Amino acid sequence: MARDLAIDLGTANTLVYMKGRGIVLNEPSVIALNRQTGEVLATGREAWQMIGRTPGYIVAVRPLRGGAITDFEITERMIRLLLQRVGVSRFTRPKVVICVPSAITEVERRAVTDATRRAGAADAQLIEQPMAAAIGADLPIDEPVGNMVIDVGGGTSETAVISLGGVVALEAVRVGSFDIDAAIQNYVRREHGIAIGERTAEEIKVAIGSADPIGDENEAEVRGRDLMSGLPKTVLLAPEEIRFAIDDVVSSIVASVVRCLAKAPPELAQDFLVRGMYLVGGGGLLRGLAQRIERECKVPVRMSPMPLEAVVLGAGHCIEHYEALKGMFMGARR
Amino acid sequence: MTAIILIVIGVLLLAVLLAVRISNHRRPVDGVATFRRHIDALSPQARREVIDRVQNARDSGKGK
Repeated sequence: MARDLAIDLGTANTLVYMKGRGIVLNEPSVIALNRQTGEVLATGREAWQMIGRTPGYIVAVRPLRGGAITDFEITERMIRLLLQRVGVSRFTRPKVVICVPSAITEVERRAVTDATRRAGAADAQLIEQPMAAAIGADLPIDEPVGNMVIDVGGGTSETAVISLGGVVALEAVRVGSFDIDAAIQNYVRREHGIAIGERTAEEIKVAIGSADPIGDENEAEVRGRDLMSGLPKTVLLAPEEIRFAIDDVVSSIVASVVRCLAKAPPELAQDFLVRGMYLVGGGGLLRGLAQRIERECKVPVRMSPMPLEAVVLGAGHCIEHYEALKGMFMGARR
Repeated sequence: MTAIILIVIGVLLLAVLLAVRISNHRRPVDGVATFRRHIDALSPQARREVIDRVQNARDSGKGK
């Protein structure tokens, strides 16, 4: 008998929660393929290490962008391999709950459920990421009080107001931490004339990236390829430069939080002033982001204790209490 | 005689099955109970087990 699973199929990372066990897998959502034969060469962390460093016949790709499937066949193969790695076989077909961005279209939803069923699941149900994040962040969503959760993922940023076990207001933008990486890549290319890869851009973001000025800031040395000469080149980047480079992306995330606040009913809005908003997701770890949201929204922002795992924890809770919570799945309401 | 008894038992079984099906169809959805169950499943106590499980695995370095 297969143990049921909850999957946070993120643009950046995939986490799998197994019923009764906990988180059994946490790896980058990357797959490496042989371009000529179509063979899968690596998945997860191993494939992630290959990004931008492969010979011509190998391609390392992220099959999800903005939380949606960009390549159905590759996603299905990736899910199939993930399920195999956690012990799912042809004879053990589990029920699966998958977290998806609330902004995905009907067609994209069907693509996720079809890919999961074809990969070996007996049943595939979807849950909105902010709802799962609120459950996983341990917010008192069973009470008639306003709980606000901001989930900044790799490809999407979603803000939701939740009360009495349901979503009251929701705002989503297809902008996330990958857009921050892309903004850094573009800035370095434009202003310093060097080309850097997406992994280097991510390293810069982690090392000196911030959404708001913070104390104790250092410069970072960055190596790339000079666009004029084609030779390797090193430049020094200042934190203010990175802040300027990513400002459009950060502003768009903050604007969506403001829009969600504006949608919240007044009775719940006053709760936020006391209880604050909760930040989850890998993108939420960007330094100064909580401070910037707090400054612009005039509402306290707190970091969830387990920001990277909150979404899969919420979905895991749904798989543990499947019958009682099946009304939360997308398509179950209405 | 045996045939009659078998037919009677068969008819009775069919009648019971039919009655069960009809009662299932007619049973109204108890909104209050369903909502209560939903809210109870979202209570911090109900969520404790999952959060503790992951937290413990994380603390002992076994998680991920």
